[in-house]
Amino acid sequence: MSESPEEAAETTGEWTDVARQAANEFDAGTDEEGSELLRELLVFGLDDGLYAIAVERVREIVRYRELTAVPRSPDWMLGVIALRGEVVEVVDLRSRLGLATGETDRSSRIIVLHGDAERVTGILVDSVSVVHRASEQNMMPAQGIELSAVVETCRWGDEFISVIDPDMALGFQNV
Amino acid sequence: MAAKRSSRKGKKTARQPAKAKKKTQDHHEFVSEAEEILERMLEDLSDLQEQRHASTEVDPDLVNRIFRSAHSLKGLAGMFGLDAIGELAHHLEDILDGLRLGRISMASPAIALLDDGVSLLATMMTRLERGNALDDDDAEAARAFIAQIAEAVQEPVAPTDDVLDGLEIDSSLRRALTEYEEHRLRENLSRGRHIVLVDSIFDITAFEEGLSDLSAAVREIGEVISTLPSPGDAPESQIRFSLLAATEIDPDRLGERLDHPNTNVECVHHATGGASEVPATADTNAEAEPTAAAASQSEPTAEAAEGNPAEPASPSQVESPDIESLRSISETVRVDIRKLDELMNLVGELVIQRNAIASVANRLSGDAQTVRIGAELNKAHKTLDRKLKELQSGVLDVRMVPLRQIFEKLSRVVRRLRRELDKDVELEFKGADTELDKLIVEQLVDPLVHLVRNSLDHALESAEDRRAAGKAPIGKIRISAFQRGNHVVIEVEDDGRGMDVEAIRAKGVARGLIGENENLSRGDILNLVFEAGLSTCKEVSSTSGRGVGMDVVRSNLSEMGGIVDLDSASGRGTTVTITLPITLAIIQALIVRIGEERFAIPLNSVLETMAILPEQIGHSEGREILNLRGEPLLLRRLSDEFDIEGSSRDERQFVVVLGMGEQRLGLIVDRFEGQQDTVIKPIKGPIQAIRGISGATELGDRTAILVIDVSAIVADALRRREAA
Repeated sequence: MSESPEEAAETTGEWTDVARQAANEFDAGTDEEGSELLRELLVFGLDDGLYAIAVERVREIVRYRELTAVPRSPDWMLGVIALRGEVVEVVDLRSRLGLATGETDRSSRIIVLHGDAERVTGILVDSVSVVHRASEQNMMPAQGIELSAVVETCRWGDEFISVIDPDMALGFQNV
Repeated sequence: MAAKRSSRKGKKTARQPAKAKKKTQDHHEFVSEAEEILERMLEDLSDLQEQRHASTEVDPDLVNRIFRSAHSLKGLAGMFGLDAIGELAHHLEDILDGLRLGRISMASPAIALLDDGVSLLATMMTRLERGNALDDDDAEAARAFIAQIAEAVQEPVAPTDDVLDGLEIDSSLRRALTEYEEHRLRENLSRGRHIVLVDSIFDITAFEEGLSDLSAAVREIGEVISTLPSPGDAPESQIRFSLLAATEIDPDRLGERLDHPNTNVECVHHATGGASEVPATADTNAEAEPTAAAASQSEPTAEAAEGNPAEPASPSQVESPDIESLRSISETVRVDIRKLDELMNLVGELVIQRNAIASVANRLSGDAQTVRIGAELNKAHKTLDRKLKELQSGVLDVRMVPLRQIFEKLSRVVRRLRRELDKDVELEFKGADTELDKLIVEQLVDPLVHLVRNSLDHALESAEDRRAAGKAPIGKIRISAFQRGNHVVIEVEDDGRGMDVEAIRAKGVARGLIGENENLSRGDILNLVFEAGLSTCKEVSSTSGRGVGMDVVRSNLSEMGGIVDLDSASGRGTTVTITLPITLAIIQALIVRIGEERFAIPLNSVLETMAILPEQIGHSEGREILNLRGEPLLLRRLSDEFDIEGSSRDERQFVVVLGMGEQRLGLIVDRFEGQQDTVIKPIKGPIQAIRGISGATELGDRTAILVIDVSAIVADALRRREAA
């Protein structure tokens, strides 16, 4: 049932192209007309903090629903949900970020992210607020070293948003 | 502004993969068409090899057909710009052309290359099918192979021109023969057949019909080598044709057989007479002139033949049987397996929805106020259920393919190995019509090839050794397939040296797979060969031991929900039995509960279920066992396995008896929650790697439920026993 390595490589290759192209556009900082490019970030909350993930990586946002626990899996793997016939793994972002365990309530959401290949992974967050268009001027490298998944900080009025690298947060490389 | 910009950005990023997709799409188109051609080639090639092997005369039509297939493939590849495939097909075409023209003899080693070439083509197509482009490696492989062809084809052609000189045919007629026709003439002469010239005059308005009737009649008594128009002395509005034919029937008696008006049969070569000195002429029609005369006096024959040499022949070649077969092809539809997968998924979703309806119906029936609606809904559900089952089996049926195609692949592999190992083997297939899900068939190829290789390379002895052991000098591998309930059983059987149980036990002990004094049955020991790291072959050859061991065979099969068993008698042979579910798409599962969690167990590995009392559980070496009809059954608690808090152990216990091949395990669960049709979804992610879980499925209540990997659970439990 598992797909062949070539197949996986092929899809990843395609996907990487898209990502690279997007990245190049961001690097350029401006589009063809010379106006400033904005980055689109999906802003969500965990405890009192504001976090964000690049919109390009988000496939959909669903309400929290009961998870099916998976035995023999690491602690940060909360379980799986069935989503229109698809089975999606849900990762505990809190534990990946080193935050204390939280509760789920009516505002809890699962953000379903595109991973590599055809893989999708959900992350559990306390709430989802808005899509914020951030200008490059407001972006700065992350300060703290302990939260390694936080790669950048974005100034938003008086507040700061921690921008998360989904690959690092989901531990795609080190499972 | 921002919106506009972002939309443009979206377009930009989307373009790249879309283009890539277009290309793969093209390749799919190519592959689906080319596959059909390739399959036909394979079939024909295997017939050709058989005819050669049986050293009977090879049917010229067969060679022509393969030649045409290679030609179509070349054209198709050219259309899609697939140069490597086109080149390869072109060179195969060369070999085949050489064969049909007699430039290459049927004994040539070049013929063996046809098989390899077709395999190479198949490999390239598989790559395309997976959405990959052909790369330099493919081009290199094609080039290397073409070089091989060039080498093999360079063989001197025996000069055989003189044979034709002894024929009583006019030189202009002979000049009009194409190279192929000349070859066929020689071939028939060498087979000792009579050569006749059938001459006939037709009305110009109806000659096509008359000619094709006559051709068909001649074909019944032999082979039409050439059809030539002889415009010589035909009266106005009439046309004369000469058919050069070969036959085994005495030319003197041909007149009676070819009872056509205005037809004259002249023998140009009488085989039994030894030479052409006795040309026997049988006139069926007095008014017709002898053809030789007609041919000689009509000087323009050659010219006319040059003008349209093959045309008159071609319409008669495409005669009714071909037309019929064309029709039958158009009645089948080639469908991309992915479309069927989608359809199957839809049916799966419907099955899930049906389950949801059932649970609503039951809830309604349980309430006094809604009991009537509940009953009605239940009735509707029953009808839906029945129709759904029909739909399901209809879709499943479409996915079914006969095992024949695998068998053909296997016989090619064996032919190649026979050459490489210089070891003859008799290969026998049974049950080629047995059908299995296309996906399973695809995944079955590698394990089967491995097993057959193993048999040929290791199990079958050399001819001398076999004689010494009192066996037939040529070893035999038999592959038989048959259906048993919802499973298909495939047996790979050889009459080779068999396996030495003691040697395997010793190796198992040495590798730490079993304890030194462990009491194991013969079957248990034999099945150790499926463990990683237990290879019984002394040396690794290029044929076997390419990094794929029996353990991989087992894990490949268990991925498909299949099981494998082995039985062997030292000196007499080995039988490997593979049992596979007919389809993977929808499986019946037993839903069990431990604490709060539910799991699905594929029903095809459940032998029975039972409820037992705690006092029935015995203990042996610190393990729980149950006396099951006199046999000890090792027990394992799913709650321990998955570290989940289960219910009390002092109450009644529920046991699922699991069977994987010969191995048995009793799995203790808290409760049974019934059976359900489920569609197993693989999980793409880290969970995939978790041992004991093979995937997940969705139940009617929209929750995900994990599917237990029975083979892993059973293997682990038994290994733990062995380690203890």
